[in-house]
Amino acid sequence: MGADDVVTDDDRKQNRYHFDRHAPEYRGRFEAITEEMHEKCPIAWTETYGGHWVAAGNREVFELARSADRVSNDHDVKGERRGYQGISIPPPERGKGSTGGFLEMDPPAQRYYRQALNPYLSPAAINRWIPVIDELVRACLDEKIESGRIDFVDDLANVVPAVLTLGMMGIPMKDWVVYNEPVHAAVYTRPNTPEAERVAEMHKEMGRHLVGQFFEIQQNPRPGLIDEIARIKIDGETPPFEDQVGALGLIIGGGFDTTTALTAHALEWLSENPEERARLSRERDTLLNSATEEFLRFYTPAPGDGRTISADCEIAGTAFREGERLWLSWAMANRDATVFPEPNTIDLARKNNRHSSFGIGIHRCIGSNVARTVFKRMLLQVLDRMPDYRCDPEGAVHYDTIGVINGMRKLPATFTPGERLGAGLDETIERMQRVCDEQRLAEPVTVRKAQAKID
Amino acid sequence: MKVRVDSERCQGHTLCAMIAPEIFELRDVDGHSCVVQEDVPADQEAQVIEAVNSCPERAISVD
Repeated sequence: MGADDVVTDDDRKQNRYHFDRHAPEYRGRFEAITEEMHEKCPIAWTETYGGHWVAAGNREVFELARSADRVSNDHDVKGERRGYQGISIPPPERGKGSTGGFLEMDPPAQRYYRQALNPYLSPAAINRWIPVIDELVRACLDEKIESGRIDFVDDLANVVPAVLTLGMMGIPMKDWVVYNEPVHAAVYTRPNTPEAERVAEMHKEMGRHLVGQFFEIQQNPRPGLIDEIARIKIDGETPPFEDQVGALGLIIGGGFDTTTALTAHALEWLSENPEERARLSRERDTLLNSATEEFLRFYTPAPGDGRTISADCEIAGTAFREGERLWLSWAMANRDATVFPEPNTIDLARKNNRHSSFGIGIHRCIGSNVARTVFKRMLLQVLDRMPDYRCDPEGAVHYDTIGVINGMRKLPATFTPGERLGAGLDETIERMQRVCDEQRLAEPVTVRKAQAKID
Repeated sequence: MKVRVDSERCQGHTLCAMIAPEIFELRDVDGHSCVVQEDVPADQEAQVIEAVNSCPERAISVD
């Protein structure tokens, strides 16, 4: 390389921006920060967390996310490769030494996992579960319908995704309580507090339960995602146990808090915009899909992912060096005015909504079809059974920060009471478990195609 | 108008089949898209254009 070709670090990193996704300020000033970065530095270098790149522009995020040959997801926990640190910046304290499953892997191993799990999670696979989802939603609403009061987070949006995810995995659905609180609380609880210790203890309990289920299913197979992961071969070999458990943790982490976050935010917005709510209910046949994509774009439940540059390269006009860390902001890419006219406005009928809320490229959220379906089924029953609900702004609690999930802890609401339609939640979960077991619903769609039948 | 999906780029976001279900079909196994009708009928052209402009991976093209 001649002297003229040498690009100094100062040249490469001349676009600088103080970016801290974990700071409350990032949540509070999200739109202003996003606009500023789009205007001045769609890719910036920030000094936070040991220094890393931040991609905020839509084109930049898109190109980087689609460059898996030069941009790695690898989390090299045992230091066997190049020591890359996966998708969190900084790496989380809890869970140090464990991987985020196939989201923290590169091809080819990553591809084996996705190919194995896709037949459980494709649109055709999820459609089979709709009658079960509807029953679970019905039961959640029945628990509250006579009282005229509900907390949409605690009583609905936390429940249905958790119960369904366990059912798809092959874990008894009644055990959802073991999983639910630690998963949500781990996201919003501040580190180094007494509360964090309690959450850590619950998390360990959940981990023990999960590993117990894995061994149980390994010895006495029953259908579901755990069975598939217990039997998976990577290029003919059984992968390390930690990778298998990492995959299960990924399914739980991905399946729980994200859909909850989307649903709570959408219900809150619809309460604040009752005319839009009435319109969505009335014109659901044409609006439900576009409204769902718009809520996904606007609220971006998982706001971004980390990566590591795996080769010196130039992408989207920036020179990167091997080993540098990179934050891909799906949330900021979703507000880019060059792609989304009036990006900070919710338009339920928005067209050409190329959002990146499920990620872009080979790591596209494998549960995206579950998320959309569960969200839609919850929303529709709320619109039908509690059409005049009003959220209490005093009682709504958003997460303090949006570094991991743009979520909510509480969303209390009141509505005109109605009549119960059926059994309560516990009894319904028991009945749905029988449906699931008898009809082998947790089989992949390649084995079982028919939709669940409920008497 | 002819439409095609680049199967190397498609990652199974499923938006195209939501927008133009008569033109795009999702595989049962992985939800990736394939074109069922390469020649787009005139009354489907607007939807197909919208699908092109909605694909997060920019995997759909028309000529």
